Amino acid sequence: MSHLEVDRVSLAYRRPRSTERFFALADVSLHVDRGEFVTIVGPSGCGKSSLLMLIAALLRPTSGVIRLDGREVRAPGSDRAVVFQDFALLPWRTVLRNVELGLELKGVKAAERRAAARRYIAMVGLRDFERHFPHQLSGGMRQRVGIARALSVEPEVLLMDEPFGALDAQIRALMAVELLRIWERDRKTIVFVTHDIDEAVYLADRVVVMSASPGRIIETLDIALPRPRDLDIRNAPEFAAYRHRIWELLEEQVRTSLHWPTAAS
Amino acid sequence: MNRPLVGSISVVLFLAVWQVVGSTNLVRSDLISYPSEVAATLAKMAASGELGSNAVVSLKEFVAGFVPAVAAGIAAGVVLALVRRLRLFFDPLLIAIYQAPIIAFVPILVVWFGVGTQSKIVMVFLSAFFPVMINTMTGVAQVAEPWTRAVRAFGADAFEVVTKAILPGSLPAIMAGIRLGVGRAIVILIAGEMYVSIMGIGRLVQVYSSAARAAEIIVLVVVISAFGFACVSLLRWFEHRLGPWRSELEQ
Repeated sequence: MSHLEVDRVSLAYRRPRSTERFFALADVSLHVDRGEFVTIVGPSGCGKSSLLMLIAALLRPTSGVIRLDGREVRAPGSDRAVVFQDFALLPWRTVLRNVELGLELKGVKAAERRAAARRYIAMVGLRDFERHFPHQLSGGMRQRVGIARALSVEPEVLLMDEPFGALDAQIRALMAVELLRIWERDRKTIVFVTHDIDEAVYLADRVVVMSASPGRIIETLDIALPRPRDLDIRNAPEFAAYRHRIWELLEEQVRTSLHWPTAAS
Repeated sequence: MNRPLVGSISVVLFLAVWQVVGSTNLVRSDLISYPSEVAATLAKMAASGELGSNAVVSLKEFVAGFVPAVAAGIAAGVVLALVRRLRLFFDPLLIAIYQAPIIAFVPILVVWFGVGTQSKIVMVFLSAFFPVMINTMTGVAQVAEPWTRAVRAFGADAFEVVTKAILPGSLPAIMAGIRLGVGRAIVILIAGEMYVSIMGIGRLVQVYSSAARAAEIIVLVVVISAFGFACVSLLRWFEHRLGPWRSELEQ
């Protein structure tokens, strides 16, 4: 039995004022082991974020089942913490109070949750910014708050929905390094959605490649790069081979979505 | 120069001109009075207990009407904003009542609730309830989706979504509604007391205006303004304490 199990899941939307159904995800199955770092790449609109929201149970599947340790996932809960692309911080709360949110909803007592929140704030390097409000922080710092908030509830699985998508390229690369450093400590199970191929390969034990409309898994690649990894690994020939392989898989998808025929045709 | 200093210059200048024009009878002082006479009258009315006993009555009416209006207005606003069917059902009625001037209801409210404090409490309630409710509805509608999503993602139930995301997120709009309610409630309270009452600041205004006593009327105007100013200052302080994020965003 795998740790997290996505079992033949489909997600359909009904277009407004139409009986026609549009499949965002069709028959997706995915198994993730405990402690595994899985990244999902795909063109925009392939439903990769929807898949993550289904695991979080912020969306309900049209058909299929999602299980965590064999139990069906039916409602959101702190066993699966989400890090959102738009950070989703509460602007009226300080950094400390934002990180406390999940613990508060879990019913952890004030003194205990304050101590835990401080620990995770220190882990993401924001010790001096506890009393700041989100609007006083840079994008990268805000997302570190988002990560601390998610980790603070000690989830079974960390779900990351293009967490660095709103950040510029250099910050992004450094955030990935930082994330791996944190992950190396306790090897929490992570499902990480991105459209950045380098990011996907750099982080993952396994990269899941998806196609668009309807979203399907077209390939899964085991990434046999040694850990711990630093950014230089992106220049390794093995890394280039993975990058090339994923790009080949995605190129056709992206061209189709752009209605851009290949040079040959 | 700092801002309060510049602002106070105009006030001092105004008082000085008023004092000179009134006390030298350049304009009939029985009509416009002048600051030193107003101050003396204030002291006299306070010493006799006339001001205090009537102010207490008005203050009690205000609090008894205003506090429930804020609580009910927020609750109704949240429920109506979240339950679409209920909103569609009540919307035309509520907008109609909100647009109607409450002052037109003063005579009928006196018929229903008597000449005493009860009718004034109802007047205060009605004039504060609607702005608070309408503003709460607007505020809830403007609550950003990521806020509720973040709270839901951690397994919050519907009640927790309201208390952790929706209420704090709509606080600025709710406070704007409360501020609006303060102004309206003071106007209606004074008007209601002037129309008919046994005691209250508005009752004093009515008594002294029929005797054409300028100094006393001005004292009462000053007292009413001071109360309004105190309410708004208190709200501002409270709002800043609860939501420093908003005032910093606006800076």
